[in-house]
Amino acid sequence: MAQTAGIQADEKALIRAAQEGDQDAFGQLVRAYDKSVLRLALNLLRSPEDAQDVYQEAFLRVYRNLNSFRFDCSFHTWLYRIVTNLCLDHMRKRKVRREESSQVEGLDGPVDRMDTFQELRADGDPQRSMFSGELRRGIQKALSELTVRERMVFELRHYQGMKLRDIGETLGTTEEAAKNCLFRATQKMRVALGDFV
Amino acid sequence: MNMCEKVRTQLGMLLYGELSFDEEEAVDRHVEGCAECRTALEQQRQLHAAFDQVEVEPLASLLWESRQKLQQQIAAEHPPVALRRGWWDQLVDSLTLRPTGNGGWLKTAGALALLTIGFLGARMAPNLGPQISGMSLADPGAQRVRSVEPAANGGIQIVLDETRQRVVSGQLDDQNIRVLLLSAAKDPSDPGLRYETVGILNDRAQASEVRDTLIYALEHDENAGVRLKAMDGLRPFVTQPEVRKALTGVLLSDGNPGMRTQAIDLLTQGVGESTNDLTGHALDRDVIGTLQELMNRENNAYVRQRGQRVLQLVNASAETY
Repeated sequence: MAQTAGIQADEKALIRAAQEGDQDAFGQLVRAYDKSVLRLALNLLRSPEDAQDVYQEAFLRVYRNLNSFRFDCSFHTWLYRIVTNLCLDHMRKRKVRREESSQVEGLDGPVDRMDTFQELRADGDPQRSMFSGELRRGIQKALSELTVRERMVFELRHYQGMKLRDIGETLGTTEEAAKNCLFRATQKMRVALGDFV
Repeated sequence: MNMCEKVRTQLGMLLYGELSFDEEEAVDRHVEGCAECRTALEQQRQLHAAFDQVEVEPLASLLWESRQKLQQQIAAEHPPVALRRGWWDQLVDSLTLRPTGNGGWLKTAGALALLTIGFLGARMAPNLGPQISGMSLADPGAQRVRSVEPAANGGIQIVLDETRQRVVSGQLDDQNIRVLLLSAAKDPSDPGLRYETVGILNDRAQASEVRDTLIYALEHDENAGVRLKAMDGLRPFVTQPEVRKALTGVLLSDGNPGMRTQAIDLLTQGVGESTNDLTGHALDRDVIGTLQELMNRENNAYVRQRGQRVLQLVNASAETY
């Protein structure tokens, strides 16, 4: 607990320094969060180019508006509010345009083009290499069939490990609404993938 | 809704730790005594584990590029203001005639013609001759005050530990610069530095010592972005045996599917481009054998597809017997 309080104090000091024009402090703030921001955008948008756009826009907005940050919420919540809004915009536009999925047609059937971009996960689970392509495609299809908000809540809870209370705060809704959203998402996923497990 | 149905709708939330204390207690109690719900819980666990497998981790090179672009955009939009400076900087300024510096984070990497190597200059350059600027108090670097004590003349004496930075400038073909770059390409602590350095060295890959370093990076660098950059530099030398050997190693053992795809393209470049060249004479037997071996072990659909396509073009079987 004392360590967490120390980290928060350090972060507060960094933010204050960045607000006063200290570029190194701003750089440290970016580096503290940017990998998880990029991972969130990449997983939600399934496109390295779009993920990079969100990254740029999010941190530019932080840079431009840092002086208006008044510590009413945590910096994490503030940043993720910006990032999730940008991602939601992208996802909604894509739904409307029925843009391309991340899959392309290959000789053996559909191939996820993300396969050519992604880094193996750091934990290097050997099971991964044995992982069934069919199940993988099934999960991706089930994820793509969630509503934009369900997809977002599921991503933040499952992959980013955020608690529902924080997700609610980030998305501007209640913990209960976030919980209902996650519940619907997991039910849909369970139904869609019931044959695989 | 009977108890089993109710519990099964809560299993997902249970695994996320999002049930209330009472709800969790009720689910645990029920699952303990109900074999079917225990099975359902196990299935839910498997499903969660399966979700983990589709998470995509961004390539280090994508993160690096993103940081670079952000720096450039911020620098273009809003020139950095002077850093808020600490007491030590002010003391140093009072002793020297250094102009006030701009924000360190926004300093972009130097142009190709002027190679600026910070800590490396001090760490790795033993004797680089008179063209290297000397270190002064004003040189930025990691500093730590070890002790402070009054001096006899009424002033103070400060004992300072410091990691010195030096700026080394020169042409890419200067031996001293070359030595530093070859070392920087293997610096284990900074993938961004290795990526930039390998990119610079790519222009001199005709030199065997540079090529050896690129091959080393291709085979050993833990960062896929650096490995990919090294592969780019070796592209014009793909006919050389040591380069082909390294690419074969990538094809069979690199953990990144993008790298394996690129290795296929390089090892088989030109195959199938001409309509008269479908007999495989341009593709040596070693490469065909490597591709066949790859087909036996490759799990990535995209890489398999690329390998199969080449084997089909040269009328070779996708399997070995």
